Amino acid sequence: MKIEGKYKFLASQEQIWDLFMDQKNLEKAIPGCEKMEEREPGKYDVLLKIGIAAIKGTYTGKVEVVDPEPPNRYRLLGEGSGNPGFVKGEATIEFSQEGQHTIVSYQGDMQVGGLIAGIGQRMIGGIAKMMAGQFFKKMAKELKSQQ
Amino acid sequence: MKPSAFEYFTASTVAEAISLLERYEDEAKIIAGGQSLVPMMNFRVAQPEVLIDINGIKELDYIRQEDDEIVIGALTRERDVELSPLVQEKCPILAEAISLIGHASIRTRGTIGGSLVHADPAAEIPVAIYGLDAKMKVVGPSGERTLEPEEFFLSYLTTSLEPSEILVEVRIPVLPQKTGWSFVELTRRRGDFYIVAVASILFMGKGGVCKEARICLGGVGPTSIRAEEAEEILAGQVITDALIEKAGQKAAEAADPESDYHASAEYRRDMTRVFVQRGLAEARNRAKGG
Amino acid sequence: MAGRRRITVKVNGVEYEREVDPKRLLVDFLRDDLELIGTHVGCEHGFCGACTVLFNGRSIRSCLMFAVQADGAEIMTVEGLAGDGKLHPLQEAFREHHALQCGFCTPGMLMVAYELLRDNPDPTEEEVRLAIAGVLCRCTGYKQIIDAVIAAAPKMRGK
Repeated sequence: MKIEGKYKFLASQEQIWDLFMDQKNLEKAIPGCEKMEEREPGKYDVLLKIGIAAIKGTYTGKVEVVDPEPPNRYRLLGEGSGNPGFVKGEATIEFSQEGQHTIVSYQGDMQVGGLIAGIGQRMIGGIAKMMAGQFFKKMAKELKSQQ
Repeated sequence: MKPSAFEYFTASTVAEAISLLERYEDEAKIIAGGQSLVPMMNFRVAQPEVLIDINGIKELDYIRQEDDEIVIGALTRERDVELSPLVQEKCPILAEAISLIGHASIRTRGTIGGSLVHADPAAEIPVAIYGLDAKMKVVGPSGERTLEPEEFFLSYLTTSLEPSEILVEVRIPVLPQKTGWSFVELTRRRGDFYIVAVASILFMGKGGVCKEARICLGGVGPTSIRAEEAEEILAGQVITDALIEKAGQKAAEAADPESDYHASAEYRRDMTRVFVQRGLAEARNRAKGG
Repeated sequence: MAGRRRITVKVNGVEYEREVDPKRLLVDFLRDDLELIGTHVGCEHGFCGACTVLFNGRSIRSCLMFAVQADGAEIMTVEGLAGDGKLHPLQEAFREHHALQCGFCTPGMLMVAYELLRDNPDPTEEEVRLAIAGVLCRCTGYKQIIDAVIAAAPKMRGK
């Protein structure tokens, strides 16, 4: 399943790149993130608790930042599994400056399997997009608190 | 599969249900008709630790008219609403929408409140509720509040209900005589979750002029939405084929659908246009008494 | 309040009292606790309709309800159709019209057809199609089932 979207921040491209590279910010902004530990540079173990209505689950997973080209783009690999199923995906995150703003866009492919796929298939794309939106909003909040 | 184990409580009053919710908070899930929850439990996608069965709250099972509103208790079965002569006469679009939910044996158990609270983006009742501009009455530990559809529905499977609140009643304004209406949907098979659903309501004025139009779309975003720009095209006009054509195009622009394995976003958007046009034509015919 | 619950249900006119685990699905209760295996369990998420029974007179999917919720209810299963060693007119019509092959969907088909003809003794073909739409059959192509229901209608009216 393809997912894509973009978000506009009021800051320079370098500032936004640093924002996204800082684990502390990610930990706060990733929806449901309970724990995030750096195993080795650019590789993280994460624990997520995600609940939508009655569908609640705890996921453990790995996230990896690869091919970073500061401050323009990097690729994000991730996989996680929990009681309702598994999620696996990769995305390219791109940063570009537009006047005083920086546009962060993501484009990726996601696979969802296990129990959740059987019954949640209709909504998974939309929910992923919604959670991406929550993530960007929180990142913007982190940015503001640091400015 | 079989559901995982849970603790089971029955509530016979709203107050009892709320105090159980307060006690168990996140761990608890209310079960009404169970037609969405039990499949999720059977798949173990949902594994609530506590189930609060509200089927015994008889005070929430009613359909009546109060002044210009049809008032329906949250625990009223979908089939009772669908077959209610009062609803069929005063709010026919709701009866029509409900008749398209799953199959009769699902509607026997499913409740109007359950469908609203579950907030499935491909459910029929929320689309009709948006179109009818109905109000949801919810009760919690600190009293009751009444919510508009836009306040009630937040996103996929998400409403603004607090963890210890429950929906108790739906209040639906009676449609005036000669109101044009239609509820149309696109499904692969009868009873499936729809790809697109459209509720259209045309309030008629003098001389065949449409005073106010409501076009409500389902399946094209996290919640149902009103296609307001399309509605404005029709307001104050005699509805012509050309206006219906234009309104359909405008409504498709309001849609922000996702792709999934049933349909691409592009197809959903185009079907929004087609079904709005079909729905409006049907609503216009009804307004003419045809 | 955890643990098993004692429930009383009337199934096909016979009263049963049993202890059940709250998570016991009604269909499993009927099949495994009461040994009424005429009701079939298929998809377990309300799609196939094989587990359809009448619950206080209306059709429901017995896989989408817990047995504990049926306390005090009256249930009719496919076993309730035949009486005195004779097939019900619907069952006769299913046999005559070859309305089953593997028989898996048959209990569901019979129960929704029974409900239809009880409420609407002279249905159109369209109404029959709509009534059975919620039960999936993978063998017959539905035509023979529709023929059987239409053929059974006058016999049931005459009863």
